[in-house]
Amino acid sequence: MTKNKFTIALAGNANVGKSVIFNQLTGLHQHIGNWPGKTVEKAEGTLHFKGYTIDVIDLPGIYSLSTFSIEELISREYIAVERPDLVINIVDASVLERNLFFTLQLLELGTPMIMALNQMDMAKKKGIKIDHEKMEKLLGIPVIPTVAVSGTGIYELLEKAIEIIEKRVNIKPLKAKYGKEIEQRIEKISKMVEKTQFKYPARWVAIKLLEEDKEVEKEILKINPEIVSTAEKLAREIEEIHGHSCSTVITSERYEVASKIAREVQEITPPIKPPMRERIHALTTHKIFGYPIMAVSVLLIFYSIFTFGDYTSGLLGDFFFGLKPIFEGAFGTGVVGKLVWGGVIEGIIGGVTVALPYILPFYFILYFLEDSGYLSRIAFLMDNIMHKIGLHGKAFIPVMLGFGCNVPGCLGCRIMETEKERLLAAFVVTLVPCAATTVIILGLVGAFVSIQWALALYIIDLLIIFLLGRLAFKALPGEPTALIMEMHDYRVPHLKTVLKQTWFRLMEFVKMAFPLIIVGSLVIKLVEVINLLEPIANVLSPVTVTWLGLPTITGITLIFGVLRKELTLIMLATLLGTTNFAQGMTPVQMIVFTLVAMLYIPCIATIATLVKEFGWKKALFITIFEIVFAIILGGIAFRLLMLVY
Amino acid sequence: MMELRLSNLRDGESGIITSIGVSRGRGRGEGRRARRGWGFRKRLEDMGLTPGTKITVVKSAPFNGPLEVYIRGSRLAIGRGMAERIFVEVKR
Repeated sequence: MTKNKFTIALAGNANVGKSVIFNQLTGLHQHIGNWPGKTVEKAEGTLHFKGYTIDVIDLPGIYSLSTFSIEELISREYIAVERPDLVINIVDASVLERNLFFTLQLLELGTPMIMALNQMDMAKKKGIKIDHEKMEKLLGIPVIPTVAVSGTGIYELLEKAIEIIEKRVNIKPLKAKYGKEIEQRIEKISKMVEKTQFKYPARWVAIKLLEEDKEVEKEILKINPEIVSTAEKLAREIEEIHGHSCSTVITSERYEVASKIAREVQEITPPIKPPMRERIHALTTHKIFGYPIMAVSVLLIFYSIFTFGDYTSGLLGDFFFGLKPIFEGAFGTGVVGKLVWGGVIEGIIGGVTVALPYILPFYFILYFLEDSGYLSRIAFLMDNIMHKIGLHGKAFIPVMLGFGCNVPGCLGCRIMETEKERLLAAFVVTLVPCAATTVIILGLVGAFVSIQWALALYIIDLLIIFLLGRLAFKALPGEPTALIMEMHDYRVPHLKTVLKQTWFRLMEFVKMAFPLIIVGSLVIKLVEVINLLEPIANVLSPVTVTWLGLPTITGITLIFGVLRKELTLIMLATLLGTTNFAQGMTPVQMIVFTLVAMLYIPCIATIATLVKEFGWKKALFITIFEIVFAIILGGIAFRLLMLVY
Repeated sequence: MMELRLSNLRDGESGIITSIGVSRGRGRGEGRRARRGWGFRKRLEDMGLTPGTKITVVKSAPFNGPLEVYIRGSRLAIGRGMAERIFVEVKR
């Protein structure tokens, strides 16, 4: 029987051009989400080819199938349990040895597989010639040379994929052979595992048990504890023979096999003159010049994003609010009209005009820089600073995103390896002043107190991030984190892929944030329409007036700020009846108000993101913590400032 | 030949990895502690830092920043704390 619907999974190291191939294959039929219950992005797409419908799953870019990171666990679970019809292993031809190490592990999982030997152009530039036919023979799987950015080999790759799935072509993939003393023990354990009908292949389980893989151990322990104790005993024997732990020996030998294949198939004649990308690398990671170059790049990025965002935001705002009279003509200015316009439509407008103009360029530049390789250099330079708050260099990227909008910042924490790092990074991100917060700082303190005070608030925020980050790092259990990251060669980013990545991430943001912004707007508008705002403001007055020394109306504005931070300022203008804030507030009040607005809560869209990524409990904890923290801090600041002014 | 920590290598110097020291950790109970050390070492080994492999320090970032190393035909950034736990044999 032939079916015409297949599933193909793409697997490979990070930065091998996997996302380019994914985009070449699936075009605009993509869906970005999370793996069920996990902080890991899942990219899925569909393609139609010669009458077949093929689901393509883009597995995370990883280097191994152990359990160090959630990505690795998800990938191996998916391949072994969900069993895609075919795995396409995407390999960077210019870093063959490391890539083959992963290939060997995929082969151990025993699913049908073909290889896309990608970035052949890059390999050529580095003077690496690869005999892919020889590799095919050595690995026992089809190997198709590709240059994904130009589309070379993609058609052949698909044809081969169909051929393998359809004809069930008898391929005999290589089984990496370990030393005799190890093979004997693998054999012994495999035989025991075979009887248990475990979801993974027996040989693979045996190898993992010898590697002391805790996840596999846990699951086998439930089925037959005897297997685990036997494996432990055998692992100790190997340790005695080699003087290294058994997992070290197995990893070493696997790398040895990879290295041997790499040596046999490639011929390297390195170029005499250091190529441009090497010189750029040396300059951008230079001990002295690296930092000013980074500072200028980051400032330039921020400047262009805020210029673009500000301009576009204004333009869109004018356009949408220009529609208000037309709307009122249709719906009237009664309660229903007010609710629909003020609640629903203004919510949408707010999302469109405030968030999108900043997020769009942010995502674009982020993916552009990531693909080029510069982000990993920034992570390299920033590593020791990020270590001060218990994170490492990679965390600089979500933090930077957070300056545009906290939502993509929180989503960006997925690049961190462990759950602890993710949570910590996300917590830090929620404290970062986003574009909307910047509007408050500049529009209130910057315009009516002094630009120095605005700057001071920024610096205070950074100090707070530093302190709280450090505290949170100490409070959270787990191993201190450390950076280990590949810095792939600089390359020209593939524009189409970058654009698609930007677009689909933007859609993810819209789907997540907009419903909440709309519902939130509606609720608050409802409260306003039934005249509950003032009573609420009065209830809040012990905090706002007595403790923080602010006018009563600020209670209302802070409620609105939960929807979107910049609403605190807009509502302040509405309630004061003027945009000359100096008429309604003293400089001290403005500073305290801004300080509180900056920190008092992640906006509703950010909270939603936290819930999605980390669950209710953690999201709620962060939210409540920040409310309490901001109020305490604001009150102290108020009393201190009264001494100065 | 002498054994040094990777973090003590000079820029441009190469060595052969001999072993990876396991962290003392801040574990709660033995089991967890053992697992932590395992994860740390496994991570490095999976990235190709297995005993017997040649590793070259290209340069290190200032202020105790990470190291840029060259190993198995690729370039890695390794945090200072990690590099301190990697032992290499160097000709000096």
